[in-house]
Amino acid sequence: MIELKNVVKLFGRRAAVDDLTLTVPRGAIYGLLGHNGAGKSTAIGMMLGQVWPTRGEVRVGGHEVTSRRRLALQKVGAIFETPVFYDYLTGWRNLEILSQFTGPTPPARLREVIELVGLTGREQSRVRTYSHGMRTRLALAQALLPNPELLILDEPGDGLDPEGIHELRQTILRLNREMGLTILLSSHLLNEVEQLCTRIAMLNRGRKVFEGPLAGIRAGQHWLRLRTGDFAAAVTQLRSAGLITNDREGRLIEPAPDTGADQVVRHLVAQGMPVFEIAPEEQTLESFYLTQMKDSREPKTP
Amino acid sequence: MLFLQLRNELRKLFGKPRTYIGFGVLLLAQVIIVLLFRYTPASRGMVRQLSSAGIDASQYITCLTVATVMLFPIAFVLLPLYVTLIGGDLVAKEAEDGTLRMILSRPITRFRLLLVKWLAGVLFSTLLVLMLGLVGVSFARCFFPWGGLFAFTPGELFSVRNAADGCWHYFGAHVFLAVKAGTILTLAFMFSCFNVKPAAATILALSAIFVSAVLMQIPFFRDLQPWFFTYYLDVWQSVLMQPVPWWKVWGSLSMLTGFNLTFLIIGATAFHLRDIKS
Repeated sequence: MIELKNVVKLFGRRAAVDDLTLTVPRGAIYGLLGHNGAGKSTAIGMMLGQVWPTRGEVRVGGHEVTSRRRLALQKVGAIFETPVFYDYLTGWRNLEILSQFTGPTPPARLREVIELVGLTGREQSRVRTYSHGMRTRLALAQALLPNPELLILDEPGDGLDPEGIHELRQTILRLNREMGLTILLSSHLLNEVEQLCTRIAMLNRGRKVFEGPLAGIRAGQHWLRLRTGDFAAAVTQLRSAGLITNDREGRLIEPAPDTGADQVVRHLVAQGMPVFEIAPEEQTLESFYLTQMKDSREPKTP
Repeated sequence: MLFLQLRNELRKLFGKPRTYIGFGVLLLAQVIIVLLFRYTPASRGMVRQLSSAGIDASQYITCLTVATVMLFPIAFVLLPLYVTLIGGDLVAKEAEDGTLRMILSRPITRFRLLLVKWLAGVLFSTLLVLMLGLVGVSFARCFFPWGGLFAFTPGELFSVRNAADGCWHYFGAHVFLAVKAGTILTLAFMFSCFNVKPAAATILALSAIFVSAVLMQIPFFRDLQPWFFTYYLDVWQSVLMQPVPWWKVWGSLSMLTGFNLTFLIIGATAFHLRDIKS
């Protein structure tokens, strides 16, 4: 649905996006993660034809965005971090104005979408009287008006209360499951991404440091939490026996390929070392994210 | 679609309370000028000028004459101020508020968006000028009789016309004043297309107008006047002259068309090359 190939965006000498290649498959809920200034919003801006790439190719729905913007965005809806509207106009008028940049929209469709996002009864109030949550719903309504196949959400949960975040999450899931929408979600809220996304990409200083299915991150976990009398001595023993390849944080070990926890325990006990606990370490998206960010910052040794 | 989009732009423009500040202040200025004319000896100077030319002044101290007198200060100072305020806001305010990002996530070309916004701005400025003319003469009629038109500016303009002829020329002056307003709006619109704050776009446009006007007034630069942009903005005054120098009117219109096109091309190019970010 979205394809970025070797995309570079320079602001002066600074690369906001550096050689970014990623593919958002149709029907996926795709998470775009990264710290502030990692290049997420710039990448989204390029997908929407708002930011011109310095180099590379950006395709949405099979159409090159820079040269065929109208075709590329025909079936796209977008929401940005702080939903802004014409505050002095009603919600209805705002939807009418924004939707007619795509094409004529019948009032019945407006009513349908207003009902879908739960704004029925407030559509004739001026937007300045709306709460943050209502503005987010209105933003979602304007994004859904053109019957999109792709929804781009740039930090949509920012400023929402827990109820609002829960509601937004349920709506996103419903849109994906019931209407088959492909969703690109850029967020700081790792917990949200973990609960929603099927695939993720992580950006650090404009570069992609990871891309893959979220299930793969969970399945790929292979660290064991080890509690013993002397962790350092245990690690030395296990390394010399070739049973582990790595350790970290003074409590985690990475078993060698084809090595099970039972072998590790047997070896330590045979060496006279007590083992109080050994269990697979639950790898959360947060721990994976932090590891990836740390690794990508460390200088690469030849 | 263009009609729907234009209607929406006008809804946005006329939905904003600040749009009416210009209308309000211009009306207030007209009220003050009419009342000063009516209740102070201000009209005596006009009577003297007409009498010294052997003209019966009582035929020309009329609502048309007073409405024309009001036109000069408003056209020189207030109109550029309010039109640049609106023109400077058209793109830059949306960029500043973030609504431009929302619009540009839709399948509309940047050129089409600018065209719609510019048309809305030009319609606004035309309406402002026509309302100015209509309200001016209507309010003056409450205090002065209907009759001939006397227009005067020292060293440049002295004309007397009967009521029917005067009425047409009064209307014609407003048509060309709308062209002046549209050109000033286009100048502010051009600055608004750059990556600047709305206030900066307005100030840049006003500065360009005032600097050009000030340079034009320096006696040593008299021969250079046709090189200044503001020289052609006074085309509306030519319509009040007797006889009307049509060659100058059409020449000025051609130049203003060229200026408008230039401003639009520069603005559209700058806007097209820009990255729209939050």
